[in-house]
Amino acid sequence: MSHSGTVAAQPPVKMGLAIPNSKLCMWLFLGTEIMFFTAFIGTYLVLRLGSPGWPSDVADTHINVRAGGVNTFVLIFSSYLVVLAHESMLKHQFQKAWKLMCAVLFFGVVFLGIKSMEYKGKFDHDIVPGHIAENDAQALQKLVNEFSKSRDAMTNALITDDPKSEKKLSPAQKLVGLPQLISSESDTTKKDALKALGELRDATAQLKEGVRKDTLVLHTGTDHEVNPDITTKLEKFRTNEHTARYFTAHDPHPMVYGNVFASVYFLMTGFHAIHVIVGMILWIFPILRGAKLDASYTDWVENSGLYWHFVDLVWIFLFPLIYIVEFGSHAV
Amino acid sequence: MSHEEHADHGHLYRFIFGLLCVFTAVSWLADECKEYIPGVWLLPIIVLGVAVMKALCVLLIFMHIKFERAWKYVLLAPTTILAIGLPLALLPDVGVHYYHMDVPQDPISDQAFEDLEPTSDAGHSSH
Repeated sequence: MSHSGTVAAQPPVKMGLAIPNSKLCMWLFLGTEIMFFTAFIGTYLVLRLGSPGWPSDVADTHINVRAGGVNTFVLIFSSYLVVLAHESMLKHQFQKAWKLMCAVLFFGVVFLGIKSMEYKGKFDHDIVPGHIAENDAQALQKLVNEFSKSRDAMTNALITDDPKSEKKLSPAQKLVGLPQLISSESDTTKKDALKALGELRDATAQLKEGVRKDTLVLHTGTDHEVNPDITTKLEKFRTNEHTARYFTAHDPHPMVYGNVFASVYFLMTGFHAIHVIVGMILWIFPILRGAKLDASYTDWVENSGLYWHFVDLVWIFLFPLIYIVEFGSHAV
Repeated sequence: MSHEEHADHGHLYRFIFGLLCVFTAVSWLADECKEYIPGVWLLPIIVLGVAVMKALCVLLIFMHIKFERAWKYVLLAPTTILAIGLPLALLPDVGVHYYHMDVPQDPISDQAFEDLEPTSDAGHSSH
């Protein structure tokens, strides 16, 4: 519209970018994802640099470098398969693309399987946020707590409440009558089990008394070995056929900054694993098309591929930062 | 990259995959030989340098950034700047401890502060 009556030449309206909307959205989403993971990685780096004595020894952290390395290869190989799948979609080789996407899904499962084994190792050694003693006193207190829990679990399993009485007894109340129970028990196996319970009760009481009176030390000698009195007790109740199934105490192993380490380890690898699962869900849709897979899924495969590569990209940084580098562990 | 512009990158993808495997092997080798690597900082420099190279390979080739048009700069520059900004913002308080801690969090840092400041109150008054 012109006031002078002549029509001014308007530049042609150009809407958006010369890429599919879905791809633009995926890239915008990945932009937020970059900030999401950089927040975690950046915070981890900053925490680690500011924490002298950060645990980095594999004997403490039970980090499995080999498992991390294999998982790195698994993700890189799956990324390579993704670009081949996208190439096949562009060339209208849909069945080849379908097979490649199935392989990507399979390697996603392999990655999560290896990750689960690593997590199991962490749980077995009780490397869980809030569970890690950071000095000797905490380690001894934790040991006493674990002995007490094992004793109570075994007590509740072996000594049941009187069904005629409505009164529920605590494990401590049940243990009062233990000597009478042992002497009156006719079944040899049960008698031995009750005797083992008595030994566990006594060992727990000894440890508790040692901590209370401050006479129990975690380490002895110049080589900083764990007190043999503690290791003997642990070994005894782990191998005893009656106590083994109830005994859940861990080797005392204080780790400075262990709880923060465990928090950031599970936070970063956990969120990464969730992203792997989401990526696998994205692959399931074109895979479910089976023989009907066609060119309409080309953009889907490309966008899912971008997401999968990003997940690979995050792991590329997590692997050296969590599994390999030791900086900050001795620095102030 | 639009479908029309598509070219066959099969050889390039194979080459990049091989390169990524070599880089991963270098990281693993560096970890295996870390007893022989001098200093505290050389190992992280090697493995993080390798990680950056791997990330560039994935980003430029597998994610097609190399072949995309200028929109990539508009989209990635702000996120990159903000992503770098966060650790930098945290660094003074959490990473560097520019102030003296009166309540050290553990015996090691306690010892470290004693090593740093043999005349204990010298740093105290200035902060």
